[in-house]
Amino acid sequence: MNETVVLKNLHIKDGKNTLVSNTSLTIEKGDIYGLVGESGSGKTLTAKAIINLLPEGLKFTADEINVAGKNILKASQNEVTMYIGKNAGYIPQNTVFFLHPMIKIKNQIADGYVHHMKRSKAEGLKISLQLLDMVGFENPESILNFYPWQLSGGMRQRVNIAMALMNNPAFIIADEPTTALDSTVQKQVMELFKKINGDTGISILLISHDLSLIKHYCLKIGVMYAGQIVESGYSKDIFENPKHPYTQLLIKMMPTMNIKKNEPIPEIKGFVPEKGRDSQGCLFKERCPFAMDVCGISVKEHNDSGHYYRCNLY
Amino acid sequence: MLKYVLNRVKSSLVILLVVSMITFFVLMIIPGNPAQLILGTDATAEAIEDLRIAMGLDRPYYQQYLGWLLDLLKFDLGTSYIYGEAVTSLIIRAIPVTFSIAVFAMLIATITALFFGILSAVKKDSIIDYFSRSIMQLGTAIPSFWIGMVFIVYFGLRLKWFPISGFVPISSSFAGFLKSIALPAIVLAIGETGTLLRIVRSSMLDSLKQDYMDAARIKGLNKWKIYMKYALRGALIAPVTIIGMQFAKLAGGTVVVETIFALPGIGRLVLTAVERRDIVLLQGLVMFITTTVIFITLMVDLLIMTINPRIKSVERGE
Repeated sequence: MNETVVLKNLHIKDGKNTLVSNTSLTIEKGDIYGLVGESGSGKTLTAKAIINLLPEGLKFTADEINVAGKNILKASQNEVTMYIGKNAGYIPQNTVFFLHPMIKIKNQIADGYVHHMKRSKAEGLKISLQLLDMVGFENPESILNFYPWQLSGGMRQRVNIAMALMNNPAFIIADEPTTALDSTVQKQVMELFKKINGDTGISILLISHDLSLIKHYCLKIGVMYAGQIVESGYSKDIFENPKHPYTQLLIKMMPTMNIKKNEPIPEIKGFVPEKGRDSQGCLFKERCPFAMDVCGISVKEHNDSGHYYRCNLY
Repeated sequence: MLKYVLNRVKSSLVILLVVSMITFFVLMIIPGNPAQLILGTDATAEAIEDLRIAMGLDRPYYQQYLGWLLDLLKFDLGTSYIYGEAVTSLIIRAIPVTFSIAVFAMLIATITALFFGILSAVKKDSIIDYFSRSIMQLGTAIPSFWIGMVFIVYFGLRLKWFPISGFVPISSSFAGFLKSIALPAIVLAIGETGTLLRIVRSSMLDSLKQDYMDAARIKGLNKWKIYMKYALRGALIAPVTIIGMQFAKLAGGTVVVETIFALPGIGRLVLTAVERRDIVLLQGLVMFITTTVIFITLMVDLLIMTINPRIKSVERGE
């Protein structure tokens, strides 16, 4: 068993409106898998479906959602809650209210540990001290006595990471973990993920809209567009030989240091479609420079030894 | 914290001073001669004038006010014309009646509102939510004098479970005390529950949407632990504020309910003082009610600070 996460054929609907369709991904043990795409492309929803955290009102179907060796679709709701609580962690984009603002850190960080490991709170705090030390706090004891709003965004994110690691999970989701942080802190936090991944072998699903970040830290990536993964595979293959026109455009548009003053910033014209995401055709058709008539009807799927893409050009 | 309390006490004293001026002078303007009221219509003009002078009512207003204010500092609110008794002792006697009803009413209202408010937020759009929403509507819509009379007729006269009027002090019989305040407390509680329930429900709904709920859910904690520890904690501020305001309102006397159940509380004193133009009593009552409200508000603010420590640091100017 080498996969930490296997997701097959995920569909998420909000009433009649399809938000995510035909999405499959596999995260190998010890990998950092990058999920990249524009806002509204369904990255977060896909991640939340894996850990049973979809907002109320959304319905999903999937052929398989396997987390750390267990197909959670076959378990009862209570079992899933327990299982995910023990085996998965989640690190949010917005750190402001993820930790409860009215509760001291020491009174919330060890909750999950105490619940799942059936240990005392004192033991939980001992573990959290170790983890706070690991995520780079020089004085973990004092952190425990703070309220979350007394910490900076970067510090809160470190606490979130420590909290996600409390039960020694097999898998954590980092949902745009550095978007709300300034760029120096961004690098520290990303290096921390890399270190944790190297030290513990934990699998990480890294969600980001920042291609350069994904390129730098992820072995494998999936490119999402309008609720579908349009291309996935080894990061190296995708960046060197992008197949899908969307991926090609995204890579072309990565900002570089030598943009000249007054030179317009390149963009992909148009918007991510909100409706018609259940179409059998290609969802990128409206914005694609190579669109053909057939793209509106159906789309070919390819798999060149692990490099997956869906496009009629090939 | 202490500094904050002292500041609040200082500003409260200013408020009280302003209120005392307003009450005193407004009541002075009201037509009607207290001396005449005391002696009745048969009294001779001379007798009335003598009494007026004896009462010091011939002095200029500002002198009367200063005299009254100095007495106030000694906790002497003067003597009621109609009862011929010190206003302070009248109020002290009425306090246990009004306060016990207010406390019990708020206890009932708080427990009911928390129970149904939390349930209906957690199980939004379920039967229990519709039920709670009906309680909200009914509680606010039914007038308390009507429900009071229905209770008297049904529980008092027909079933004879409760006395229909009067107050039994806690010192003479605890069971009797509970019985005597049960109906008025419930009637008041019905009126307050609707508003409070609405606030609890909407704050809970808001709290349930916050990011910290995701954090609690991903930990895989027990559902009710999540609701009680995380969601409720985040939802408490508005309800606590409202409870404080409602309690302050009830503690200042509830004219209608005290009248229906013939309870000798603050509300009845106010009514009598107004009806019979007992200006000294009325002034004393206004000062008492204002102080009570200010005190309760201060307590609520301190309580909110402990619930949301962030406010504390803002107040300290951090």
